[in-house]
Amino acid sequence: MNDQVGGNLKRDRFHTLCQSLRPDLLRFAFWLSRDRALAEDVVQEAMLRAWKAQDSLLDEAAAKPWLLTIIRREYARSFERKRLVTVDIDELVAREEPTLAAAQGDDLAELRAALFKLPEEYREPLVLQVLMGYSTAEIAAELNLSNAAVLTRLFRGRNQLRAMCGEDTRMDPEE
Amino acid sequence: MMNCAQYRRAILADPRDANPELRSHRDGCRECLEYTDRQLRFEGRLERAMRVSIPAAGAASVVPLRTPALRRASSSRRGWLAMAASVLILVAVAGGLWLAEPHASLAADVVAHMAGEPQAWARTDIPVPPPELAQALADARVRLDPKAGMVSYARSCLFRAHHVPHLVVQTEMGPVTVMVLVHESVSKPERFDEQGYHGVILPMAGHGSLAVLARGQSPDPDTLKQIAVHVQDALVWTG
Repeated sequence: MNDQVGGNLKRDRFHTLCQSLRPDLLRFAFWLSRDRALAEDVVQEAMLRAWKAQDSLLDEAAAKPWLLTIIRREYARSFERKRLVTVDIDELVAREEPTLAAAQGDDLAELRAALFKLPEEYREPLVLQVLMGYSTAEIAAELNLSNAAVLTRLFRGRNQLRAMCGEDTRMDPEE
Repeated sequence: MMNCAQYRRAILADPRDANPELRSHRDGCRECLEYTDRQLRFEGRLERAMRVSIPAAGAASVVPLRTPALRRASSSRRGWLAMAASVLILVAVAGGLWLAEPHASLAADVVAHMAGEPQAWARTDIPVPPPELAQALADARVRLDPKAGMVSYARSCLFRAHHVPHLVVQTEMGPVTVMVLVHESVSKPERFDEQGYHGVILPMAGHGSLAVLARGQSPDPDTLKQIAVHVQDALVWTG
């Protein structure tokens, strides 16, 4: 009886935790995969793995980076399974148009399409920084890079995005 | 001494970098201040662009309950689900189930700024030392009476090309963020709910406006406004 109550409490806590983190994790997986259906599958699988491994999470405050790491691994697994070798960016943009579309009066669709076209090596650290609030050191740890390499990728990523969106780059520094 | 090229490289890598050396350069270089302002505007758009709408999760869809058999079935059903998606989108939007996309407004910029400093929201009993608080408030020429409550975070942040005080005050309803926006005027109190942040922007005659935000579960709007008024009453203008 007590075990069942304890199990329900544990399940409720995990549910609450996942529910609060789900939107950002789903967005992260979406920008990583550029495929809404795949992102939902990856997050679902990642949560299943997290549920099984929840005893390894000692501090709930660390749940977000913990889940994010699981999602990255799960995405890598799905990539291996599906052997996605070539990607037609225009096709991807067209397929995900409902998600990339912005609210009326907002000019975000162009920026979202540009994000889709950004190479993964620049897109991922940028999403970690801007969407997930990671510091340079945290991105470096997650991606197994040096701080300098992360800063270079963030710099190049923003440069490419701004150029694609027709931003004024006349005052930009040389790399 | 940092030059303009070094400064701009650093800002393009991290527009919200609070390194004092960057601030020092920016304070003495009008071109780099304008450059930073443009990057921060772009950053606000970028952050909003990344926050694509996500359908709210049903209770059963968060905790993993799907068995392998169900997962296989779900893959084969994806075609039907795709067809049904357009209908569901309409239903979800009509039902207000989609996360709202912020518009390019003062509120949206405030929210975008908050998202860039998640560490500020930590629940803590450690007050910011008075000299640090005074320094954060100095740009707005204001000080804060202790009756406002315990301040657990205080920084002077670049917001729309101006340094503005960004405070976190611990209240009974949890931490609330306060931004003293002396350069931004609003004609009447504005309430907003964007990206999980709930806030109010109050006009302050002759002193711009005051933004107060909470996040997480939607608080009672009147309570949030009362807190904002309480903070506003605690502001003592020095210049």
